[in-house]
Amino acid sequence: MDFYQGRVLRIDLSKGTTAVEPLNMEWAQLYVGGKGLLLRYLWDEVPPKLDPWSPDAPIILMTGPFAGTTVTTASRLVVGAKSPVTGILNDSYVGGSFAPELKFAGYDAVIIKGKAAKPTVVTIKDDVVAFVPADNYWGMMTSAVEAALRADFDANAKVLSIGPAGEKKVPWACLSTDQYHKAGRAGHGALMGDKNLKAIAVRGTGTVSVGDPKAFLELLYKIHTDYVLTDDNLWAHEEGTPVLVDVVNGGGAIPTRNWSAGQFEGADKINSEAFQKIRIKKRACFQCSISCRNFHETTFAGETVRGEGPEYETIALCGANCGIDDIGALMKFNELCDELGLDTMSSGSVTALAMDLTEKGIHDFGLHFGEAESYVQVPALVASREGIGAELALGARALAAKYGHPELAMQVKNLEIPGYDPRGSFGSAISYATSDRGGCHMRAFPPGDELAAGTMPADTMEGKVEQVIAGDSANGFIGQNFSSIKFSGIWCDFWAVTPEQIALMLAPLFGHEFSEAEVMTIGERIWNLARLFNLREGVEKDDLPKKLYASEGAFSEGPSAGKAVGEVVFRESLAKYKTLRGWDENGVPSEAKLAELGVDVRL
Amino acid sequence: MPHVMISSKKCTGCHQCELACSAYHENGFRPSVARLWAEVNPTTGAIKGHTCLQTGCSKCQEACPQDAIVTREITVKVKGDFPGREKLGDTVTGYVLVVDEEKCTNCGECYDVCPTDVIHEHPDKEVAFKCDLCGGEPQCIAFCQNPYVLAVDLKVDKMDKEPVPA
Repeated sequence: MDFYQGRVLRIDLSKGTTAVEPLNMEWAQLYVGGKGLLLRYLWDEVPPKLDPWSPDAPIILMTGPFAGTTVTTASRLVVGAKSPVTGILNDSYVGGSFAPELKFAGYDAVIIKGKAAKPTVVTIKDDVVAFVPADNYWGMMTSAVEAALRADFDANAKVLSIGPAGEKKVPWACLSTDQYHKAGRAGHGALMGDKNLKAIAVRGTGTVSVGDPKAFLELLYKIHTDYVLTDDNLWAHEEGTPVLVDVVNGGGAIPTRNWSAGQFEGADKINSEAFQKIRIKKRACFQCSISCRNFHETTFAGETVRGEGPEYETIALCGANCGIDDIGALMKFNELCDELGLDTMSSGSVTALAMDLTEKGIHDFGLHFGEAESYVQVPALVASREGIGAELALGARALAAKYGHPELAMQVKNLEIPGYDPRGSFGSAISYATSDRGGCHMRAFPPGDELAAGTMPADTMEGKVEQVIAGDSANGFIGQNFSSIKFSGIWCDFWAVTPEQIALMLAPLFGHEFSEAEVMTIGERIWNLARLFNLREGVEKDDLPKKLYASEGAFSEGPSAGKAVGEVVFRESLAKYKTLRGWDENGVPSEAKLAELGVDVRL
Repeated sequence: MPHVMISSKKCTGCHQCELACSAYHENGFRPSVARLWAEVNPTTGAIKGHTCLQTGCSKCQEACPQDAIVTREITVKVKGDFPGREKLGDTVTGYVLVVDEEKCTNCGECYDVCPTDVIHEHPDKEVAFKCDLCGGEPQCIAFCQNPYVLAVDLKVDKMDKEPVPA
């Protein structure tokens, strides 16, 4: 079979059994791979209304059809489950080299169910799948377990693991691979910990076929030259995501001291320029020609801190939002989160909230904005649930509610929101509220136009709802339909691939030509499937913390001073969103819409 | 003589060279059977490139009891931009060491002597496989013709051994 391996590996941790079954190619035709195909499998594999902590709850690892080829950036893995944090879809993406290795081992996807009686590691070497007792690995940091499995199992193994935080089921425990790459958000690490699964190690020595490989190399050489290695994508290599610090700070949209300001006075100590001074090297994910990753080295408290990152979200949420401008402390916090297996975005949000509760005199967590010494203790306390970590591990919403101040938790559907304040990026109000996994910036990205390119004013809703739904890289910031097909390839966010270019790559995949409209239809089909899944599982109403949109929440100073979406416009925009989507007032897609899109399931 | 080198300093560890190499030689993407490889330490970020130095080394040829490693004339023309081009021009002629699969008995003498660990037993057929510069258009360089990186490059060394044309 070309591109796909046509094989799904099932792992039952309760029974200690494995099985291989054919990939459902009818679904692949409809939903491509990655996000789309993951969702279709989740629809069938998650019994409706299942408790996310049930041993029957699956974790699914899904590759894209282009993983393991020269299609640049398409090495991403999507991990899917019903989130124990949000109760809805969690599709979390990670780069590195795990997905291609899984393909070379002969699998498009892995469906993990059950719960191991004791800590376990699963090893996969081509056709040989084994359950290994993980007593020696349990408790290890993510870098240590990777190194141990390379030594014990296979020198070329790629490892997807949890750290101590996942073992303790911290709600924002993440999955880690190639040490610095994380499937970060909404609790996959906690689910894997609950299943007693410390890690999956894979080594593949097989082939990903593409029909005529020489013709495919010719096509890809042209695509790389014309569309990848261009000035448009150069920022990702030259600077990477830290470039956003000045952009977002300049627009008054960088979360500062638990979202109490939109501009951080210490930003120039943690911006791209500051990181370039401590940069050692550029690094790439497997099969990526862009290489956005930055390897840094600096010192904190007299000790060397060395490693990849931090990325923009970490700088914003663990830096500015905690009032931290000490680049060494920020690097240290990032390193500890990586090693312990914690999502930095939620770590930063919850830490900032605890600082805020302390400084407002509501409860003393011993944490203060800008105070590095106590700040760097937080990740280990959270991962072990010791001391203040026991309370912080509740997550922002439950922690703020416990102390009677729910308005201080910046979250949507219980997922802490990313580093773009809607007061300085109006489009983000709608993109966060309507994202299919709660507070997320990866489904539509208004800051791309509002702040980075400056091609759309940030302080108006005009045109934003339409763009959040249907935008694409050839036409302003990316929207939800486009990101749905893009994340099914799975192409990375940092290649500004267009629908036309995606059509060029889908043609050899499916053996016929695609129009741009057809590409966008697949995306809309996938987004509607996500909506059906979320409705079935009982999704919360689309909303946003009030201070981020209501006029009384506006800043009194800074570049975004006095700006607010406004309550009326916010509600109107949410209504307009549903109308444009062909959904009713409860957000239920109409039969006509589902039929038009070819969605093959119904509520 | 022309050969491929990977700059450990510039290489980002994307493995596009291995992917392109295997697609050209193995009828599909299979980096475990690539003719060159970038060894990446995920923790430290250190990278070591493994490529064949061809007639500048010749240890496999010297070790082969079957005379199965043969010297062939080659004209190398590299696609895209690469740093060596300025010095080398558009094409480079020289010699390349290739495996004569008729003669090779998979005895393994060459596997043990290769200083860069780039000649191995093929997993599907009982013969050695190694870099042949893709017959003159190295795909590894074409797919590292990334103007940002340019880590995989063509180099030409002076010969210290007389070539033995087949």
